[in-house]
Amino acid sequence: MSAANLLQFLFSGLVVGAIYGLIALGLNIIFNATGAVNFAQGEFAMLGGMLGASILSATHLPLIVVIVLTVVTVTAIGMLMERLVIRPVRHADVLNLIIVTIGASILLKGGVMVTLGKNAAGLPAFSGERPIRVLGATFVPQALWIVGVACAIVLLVHLFFSRTLVGKAMRAVAIDRETARLMGIDVRRIVMLSFALGAAVGAVGGIIITPVTLTIYDAGTMLGLKGFAAAVTGGLGNTFGGIVGGFVLGLLEAFGGGLIGSAFKDVAAFLLILLLLFVRPRGLFARAESERV
Amino acid sequence: MLTRRQFTTTLTGGLTGGLAAGLVSPGRGNAQGAAIRIGSIFSYTGPAAFLGDRMKRSVELFVEETNKRGGLNGRRIESIIYDAASESTKAVLAAKRLIEQDQVEVIVGDGNRSDIGLALIPTVQRAEVPLMSVSGATGLVEPVRDRAWVFKSTVNDTEVIARLLDFFKKRNIKDVAMLNDTGAFGVSARDQLRAQAPAAGINVVYEEFGPADTDLTTQLTRIRGTSAQAIICWTVTPAGVVFLKNAQQLGLKQMLVHGFGFVADRYMQLAGDAAEGLVLTSLKFPIAEQLPDNDPIKATILDYKARYRAKFNEETDVYGGQAWDGIGMVAQAITRGGGSERGKIRAGLEEHIRGYRGVGGIFNFSPQKHWGLAKSDVVMIEWRQGKFRLVDL
Repeated sequence: MSAANLLQFLFSGLVVGAIYGLIALGLNIIFNATGAVNFAQGEFAMLGGMLGASILSATHLPLIVVIVLTVVTVTAIGMLMERLVIRPVRHADVLNLIIVTIGASILLKGGVMVTLGKNAAGLPAFSGERPIRVLGATFVPQALWIVGVACAIVLLVHLFFSRTLVGKAMRAVAIDRETARLMGIDVRRIVMLSFALGAAVGAVGGIIITPVTLTIYDAGTMLGLKGFAAAVTGGLGNTFGGIVGGFVLGLLEAFGGGLIGSAFKDVAAFLLILLLLFVRPRGLFARAESERV
Repeated sequence: MLTRRQFTTTLTGGLTGGLAAGLVSPGRGNAQGAAIRIGSIFSYTGPAAFLGDRMKRSVELFVEETNKRGGLNGRRIESIIYDAASESTKAVLAAKRLIEQDQVEVIVGDGNRSDIGLALIPTVQRAEVPLMSVSGATGLVEPVRDRAWVFKSTVNDTEVIARLLDFFKKRNIKDVAMLNDTGAFGVSARDQLRAQAPAAGINVVYEEFGPADTDLTTQLTRIRGTSAQAIICWTVTPAGVVFLKNAQQLGLKQMLVHGFGFVADRYMQLAGDAAEGLVLTSLKFPIAEQLPDNDPIKATILDYKARYRAKFNEETDVYGGQAWDGIGMVAQAITRGGGSERGKIRAGLEEHIRGYRGVGGIFNFSPQKHWGLAKSDVVMIEWRQGKFRLVDL
């Protein structure tokens, strides 16, 4: 296997990993506020791509305007979902919440299918499609956008959690809901905010990957599952863990598929993750204080 | 959950009366002139929906036109269409419902995906109800001995692969790579290639991908390191677009080939520049206008296209044509075979479909051959400057 090929696998793994990482980040934000895994997270990304493509083809507005409109809309959908679907069952236990999110994901999928159609959709690349060549390996300019935006969002979310009062309140809720409530934090509002943030992150992710991967109304399922695997690998609830888990999963897939054979792509990745979880059952970056009983 | 998702469409001259499935009672009269019940299973939701939509409409169009002309042998057709939602379990439930509750004489449409069609075979074999499949895998109708009740209205991948290998020999291509998806359609084509390539003197390296994959650069990088002169991709999912884009990104100079499940303008447009010069195996349908006027099925194709356009105000495609041919042949089996009972339709299909001019090609069924088309019905086309063009007839 030549060095150029290995480098190519590295590039592929990083791009795919950034995609998984963004989904994992959104999952973690909502997990921290609710203790539940949001299985509609992949649908937020799908919504970002599908809505973006639909708005663009309907209005022909500049891409940046389309992106803003899309993110705002998907954020609103995320908040609406929290208000209509999650809040009514807030006193139920976590398992029920998870099942409710699965229901919401089916609803979103069906809603998009009926309103925006069953066809695959794409978006134009942000900075053209001329491949960039590095030591015999190549990537498209959009790959830089994907990896760059993913890292930037992780950093922003991290700053938000560590530097702002609202962010700190969200962390307090994550650590101990009841105590946070006693300290005067409006837990309901925090939960809604987490859905808004999770949906926004998902939408941005969906928009930046659509020029490369295309999207279709049922694309969210696979994204959600891979994102969940990434989140678990990194340690559920950990901001940096999610993106690192994404990169780990993406690289394992690329090198597993590239070195062993494409039939082993998913097998290799998930086998290694299983092994990793045997050694570190709570993920790479598990934190003691996020323990939940 | 079946009834919620599924809708029965009864066609009585007008287009669709969308009644909930449960509300339609079979009302099966023995009186002369009772309607002939024809069931259909298509996936018009789910990932295979882009195929199933036009298939369903083509059946609706055929039934409407036939009933306007007085039906078959003086009897009206009653069409009952269920959605398989691209899932085998739903399709099997729909088939059982069509057979037991609706008591149809024949089923046209197999959920329009090879794996779904394969899942239906035990049900129709046991109930002895003829099934007209619209999917690609050879295993749907082979071996005929175990598939006595199954026919298909499109080409087998056996013939498509044979045609492709002929084309490679003509172009002096000796080494190729096969990149198929892991669904039944892709796997079946891979198996055909494995079986036929050695005799044709063509070396093949094999790679695969999941139908929902979003990156194929890893597989293509592996192929880049081989001596393959052409890369064949076999799928019906948007991953086929990713294949084209990734090949362009990697700067691959090899000839790129897609199978007959990817002949869709929309996919080409999504791929943009990356689709320029792509070679595809196809039936004649997409390049009908470019066929010589003496081509035996040119007029048939143009006629079907015009009728579909007039009715639905949109263009149909080669896949809609498969359903059109499927119900058309069933109708001919009923009128020529002189009976609309399950067994008579089966016999009619075996004995009275000879030189049938469909939009997919010239169909010839026999007791030994339940797929109608031949290698000569497959053409090689390419996508150039926003249009499919005939390369090799």
